[in-house]
Amino acid sequence: MTETIEIQLKKGVLALCVLALLSRADSYAYEIASKLAKDIDMGEGTIYPLMRRMQSDGLVETYLVESQSGPPRKYYRLTDTGRASFEAQKAEWAAFTAAVEDILGAAA
Amino acid sequence: MTRAEFLTRLKRGLAGLPASSIADIVADYEAHFAEGLEAGRTEAEVAAALGDPDRLAREQRAEQGVKRWEEAKNPSAAAGAIFAVIGLGAIDILVLLPLLMGVLGGLFGFFMGAIGIFVGGGVVFAAGPFAAPPGGPGTAILAGVGLMAGGVCLAAVTTLVTIGLVNALVWYGRLHYRLLKPAIETQV
Repeated sequence: MTETIEIQLKKGVLALCVLALLSRADSYAYEIASKLAKDIDMGEGTIYPLMRRMQSDGLVETYLVESQSGPPRKYYRLTDTGRASFEAQKAEWAAFTAAVEDILGAAA
Repeated sequence: MTRAEFLTRLKRGLAGLPASSIADIVADYEAHFAEGLEAGRTEAEVAAALGDPDRLAREQRAEQGVKRWEEAKNPSAAAGAIFAVIGLGAIDILVLLPLLMGVLGGLFGFFMGAIGIFVGGGVVFAAGPFAAPPGGPGTAILAGVGLMAGGVCLAAVTTLVTIGLVNALVWYGRLHYRLLKPAIETQV
């Protein structure tokens, strides 16, 4: 049960974290995955189905950038819809965590 | 697991998707290996961090199935989306199957009923005026048109309910699949 809750929690925030990273700077999947894998314990491969879904939902779009080594990199950037979605989710997250911390604080 | 093993298992899991989608997906993971190796990790490390390729392939398939269903609401896309979501293991097939069969049977019945009413209406419309009905031929024609309209209406409502059900199933599946389960755990 605890495992399920943990998975649900992380899954819920993963998309939000990706939006947050992209709102600061455009990035490519490897970079996003290695940042998130370090901070949230997740399989790096998870990023690809997620990016694909966010792309088909119109939250991000891709463009290619030549790299000094190897093939061009696929960069992701937020669309206007993506930015709006990020702002809305961020506000929800802040309200939600504040409420939970209140309750946890009261219980302690 | 080496890079080649990972990609082979991934491709095997993706078999059946359009070639261009497979190429796109595989290219993403190949790029990931290239980046990882450049950053000084071994193939085995990158593969372990990526996760279970079978599981990743199932997630990608589900994503594709759902996308197809969102683009075209037809029976084959619905079946594709449902099977892809079930393939994730998010929904226990043994629990779901009797329920799904019942619901599908019910919907099928409604469709058949709608067709029957429509055909019946057609018969009344075409043959009624010659059978000397009470109220005259005009009544029979109107009754036929009315029955046909009723049949179409029932079919339309059944279609809407079906679309709603598939959407609900897809939503449920997406909500529950274990996106974050790292490779190491699923492989043992």
